[in-house]
Amino acid sequence: MNPVHLELKNVSKNVFRRVNNNMVRTQILSNLDLKVNKGELVTIMGASGSGKSTLLRLINRLSETDSGIILLKGNDIRSYVPMELRRRIGMVFQVPVAFKGSVRDNLSFGIKLWGGNTGIETLSRDTGIPGNLLDADAGQLSTGEKQRVSIARALGNQPEILLLDEPTSSLDAVSEQRIEKLLLDLQKERDLTILWVTHEKEQAQRIGGKRLILREGRLEHA
Amino acid sequence: MLEVLAIAFTVFLVILSAAYARRFGIGKEIILAGTRALVQILILASIILILFQKPLYWSFPILIMMAAIAGYTTYSRSGKLEKGLPVAIFSITIASILMLIPFFLVGIFPVEARYIIPSGSIFIGNAMNVSSLAIDRYKGEIKNRRAEIETYLALGARPEIAAGACLKQGILSALIPSIDNMKNLGIVWIPGVMTGMLLGGADPMEAASIQIALFTSIFAAGMIASNLLLHFSTDSFFTKAAQLKEDMGQ
Repeated sequence: MNPVHLELKNVSKNVFRRVNNNMVRTQILSNLDLKVNKGELVTIMGASGSGKSTLLRLINRLSETDSGIILLKGNDIRSYVPMELRRRIGMVFQVPVAFKGSVRDNLSFGIKLWGGNTGIETLSRDTGIPGNLLDADAGQLSTGEKQRVSIARALGNQPEILLLDEPTSSLDAVSEQRIEKLLLDLQKERDLTILWVTHEKEQAQRIGGKRLILREGRLEHA
Repeated sequence: MLEVLAIAFTVFLVILSAAYARRFGIGKEIILAGTRALVQILILASIILILFQKPLYWSFPILIMMAAIAGYTTYSRSGKLEKGLPVAIFSITIASILMLIPFFLVGIFPVEARYIIPSGSIFIGNAMNVSSLAIDRYKGEIKNRRAEIETYLALGARPEIAAGACLKQGILSALIPSIDNMKNLGIVWIPGVMTGMLLGGADPMEAASIQIALFTSIFAAGMIASNLLLHFSTDSFFTKAAQLKEDMGQ
């Protein structure tokens, strides 16, 4: 049994939502618990607005919990410098954002920031980005290509955990299956711990791993 | 006699403009702004008159007061950002003083209240305008580019890197009017100082030289002030844990 990599204990989070021009406070996560082992793949399903994205954002501290504790390798994530925590816990968003510049500029972002030893060529090969695309303007790529770039860019930081926030929801069926395969291969090759948020039951079944559902602020086994 | 005529003409124009602007719903605002401008400028003229009789150092508190009011105006435009007031006053004051001093050091202007107050006010006023435009645009860019900023943050970038493109856009947008003015200087318009000097009977070459020196310095002051302001305001948009604040665009 692999050691516990990530643990959430009693995590609660309220968010403000605009209802008829008023901001209404809603509890979105309620005393949530989760344990993820090293190298484990966990898929999290749930209806829109159930708090799946919020949950991921709490793990790499893009947002703050209202109560409870999140532990990375047994240490409170608040004990890490936020930037270092985010290097260790990479995140791929639903809608990929390409930074200004070439694909190469995008892929080298993390390497320049953190001085990693991953080569651009390795990253592009592992993520299926053709070599002739490296000097193309990243802003002109298709959504599927941009998503590959954002996955490669996140991997450039050599993260130990990857948070995937519906990474294929803006893609067509062919690109969706390619990205799925790519991520699953990467998980095995790099022994990555992955939390994969999806709203599609079929996708969760295809991906495999531990399947959980976020319902009324808590995680349940699917 | 001339001043009475000019003031009467101003009052007449303010009333006329306000009457016309009523159809746009800004008649009241024009009356208020016009009256304020008239009263303020007369107070300023009286202060300068008094300052002529006082020792030179009396000019400096007046300049500081102008910079403080300019800072407050920019701070209000920023939506009263946390720690925004001291930062705005500091940026406008430093940039204005930095670009004003050489004019007196190299002897373009004599060190007298009659020169210090008006030239200082030009720098402060312009630095305020550019800073207000810059902070307003910067804030707008941060709100609109939340996804991009959070993508940077999620890679472990510091807030100043994550908001770097927004800052650049804020400064660029704020400087566009000044750049356009600079391009058309002498073709489309004759700026205030040169006009004043020509009306006062100065040599056109002398008036033009002083004007262009002032113009480029004013541009530099605006650029420095907006850079300082935006740079030191970045923290106000983020929490201590380098999170983009939730009221920024969600």
